[in-house]
Amino acid sequence: MTESAQQQQQQRIFERLSQAVVDMDETLAEKIATMIVHEGLDCTKAIETGLGEGMARVGKLYETGEYFIPDLLVCADALQKASDILKTGLYQYPLSKGRVVIGTIYGDTHDLGKNIVTLFMTSAGYEVLDLGKDVPARLFVDEAVKWNADIIAISTLMTTTMKNIKDVIDLLVTEKKREQFWVMLGGKPISYNFAAKIGADGYAQNAVQAVKFLDNTISKLRRY
Amino acid sequence: MIVDVLSPKERLKKTLSGEAVDRPPVICPGGMMNAAIVDVMNKTGHTLPDAHHTSDKMSDLAYDVYENTGFENFGIPFCMTVEAEALGSTINFGSLECEPKIQKEVFPSVNDVTFLPAGTIENCNRAGAVIQAIYLLSEKHPEIPVIGSLTGPISTAASIVDPMTFLKQLRRERELSHQVIDYVTEQLMGYAKLMADNGATAISIADPTATGEILGPKIFEEYAVYYLNKIADAVHELRIPVIVHICGDVRMVKPQLQKLHSEILSVDAIVDLKKLKDELNNTPTMGNISTYLLEFGQPDTVFKQAKHLLSKNIDILAPACGLSTSTPLTNITAFTSAVKEG
Repeated sequence: MTESAQQQQQQRIFERLSQAVVDMDETLAEKIATMIVHEGLDCTKAIETGLGEGMARVGKLYETGEYFIPDLLVCADALQKASDILKTGLYQYPLSKGRVVIGTIYGDTHDLGKNIVTLFMTSAGYEVLDLGKDVPARLFVDEAVKWNADIIAISTLMTTTMKNIKDVIDLLVTEKKREQFWVMLGGKPISYNFAAKIGADGYAQNAVQAVKFLDNTISKLRRY
Repeated sequence: MIVDVLSPKERLKKTLSGEAVDRPPVICPGGMMNAAIVDVMNKTGHTLPDAHHTSDKMSDLAYDVYENTGFENFGIPFCMTVEAEALGSTINFGSLECEPKIQKEVFPSVNDVTFLPAGTIENCNRAGAVIQAIYLLSEKHPEIPVIGSLTGPISTAASIVDPMTFLKQLRRERELSHQVIDYVTEQLMGYAKLMADNGATAISIADPTATGEILGPKIFEEYAVYYLNKIADAVHELRIPVIVHICGDVRMVKPQLQKLHSEILSVDAIVDLKKLKDELNNTPTMGNISTYLLEFGQPDTVFKQAKHLLSKNIDILAPACGLSTSTPLTNITAFTSAVKEG
């Protein structure tokens, strides 16, 4: 087989992998991933183009109202399983696109949305430290510093806990650490205006937009 | 001064049975829409989290809320954790300001659920306190409606099974998911019937996990509509009306909403109630003053917004979602008085 024919064949396999993620077919995704590892194909590329593309298409289906949360979660599972297999075939761990510390703010225990955002960020190639729910401002700041994060991502579902988000920003300012991190917000009651008002750097309406925000922001950070 | 000719209970009952009334009731049903705010508790000294546990404290606080806020009902319980606690989950009861929440769902997936005997919810202590408080309030204040608040079947199921796994399993393990939600529904039906038997004027069901946005129309219909209706039908057997609250944007699920058997549909602030009513064949609607406005707005803005809702012929005026416990009392009274002055 010529090199370009080989590449074409590889590309077709990655497309099938991407399709398996979109079709929520965990078994097929695992099978294709195993085959990729066995055949010694390019696992980095399989993660980037196969899985990455797949999840991007899932994101589009979500944004156009064809997929909903249960669908997203099942797709993400297929992606995760395939990704675990593909990682065993990597010679070198792929470079992280950036580091995010994420959590649901103090007073709020709704973490479904935050968990979905975490899934999307991880599958897009970011390293994410999930602090869970009901996270105090102190912990956001300490963990971000300790972990050398690029981004602090804060979510809340309730109007009642929106005001607690400002505590994180205030703490960063008081301790002169504001410049070290980008702060992004998300969650049902949050808006672009609210984020701007309390001095955050960005707002994302959903998991797809959150990844877009990261992609746009990280490119502006010197470290990467 | 305007003298009301109908008692609050008569007005609510007539409204829910579609009869003409002098003006819409203004209510707050309890449960997810709990009106036991800090301002009221500090004033009267009957406080949470104590009042989550015993019938006398619960009925005292429910009365305080009624008396101080101007809402024309008693709404209990003050949280949405009674059902999940009875079915095995761990609850953090919170504080004066902070409502109870599920600390940990008891089962990792629908495959692990232990099916407890019928009547498990109604036999637990806190449900007993709720039922007893409903009885006490309805006996002592026959002119005031008592609303028994229920956590909906999908939300209760997602409070006993890890929600991420649960949502996936709605798609992947349909048979088992149905079994679990049906079990939860049967438990809720027993509890709701006991509320009705003990003097509840209406049963209100809020199911915040079951939104069109989260589930999408297909799953919303397959699970949420089906099991909400099962509860509504059981309550109707006792000739008690049902309020259903659906959170979030309902654009995706309008045809499904028409299939609900409840007497009235309550929705979030994001929904244009007038438009929804028109689109749904003039279905009775309840709502939907923004709880953000109630917490952070000025009384005169709240007052104007209430007048605006009144002008749209909304059938029952109520908060659009769960109230913040730090909502100022003056904003709530601005809301209720705007409705009452007609």
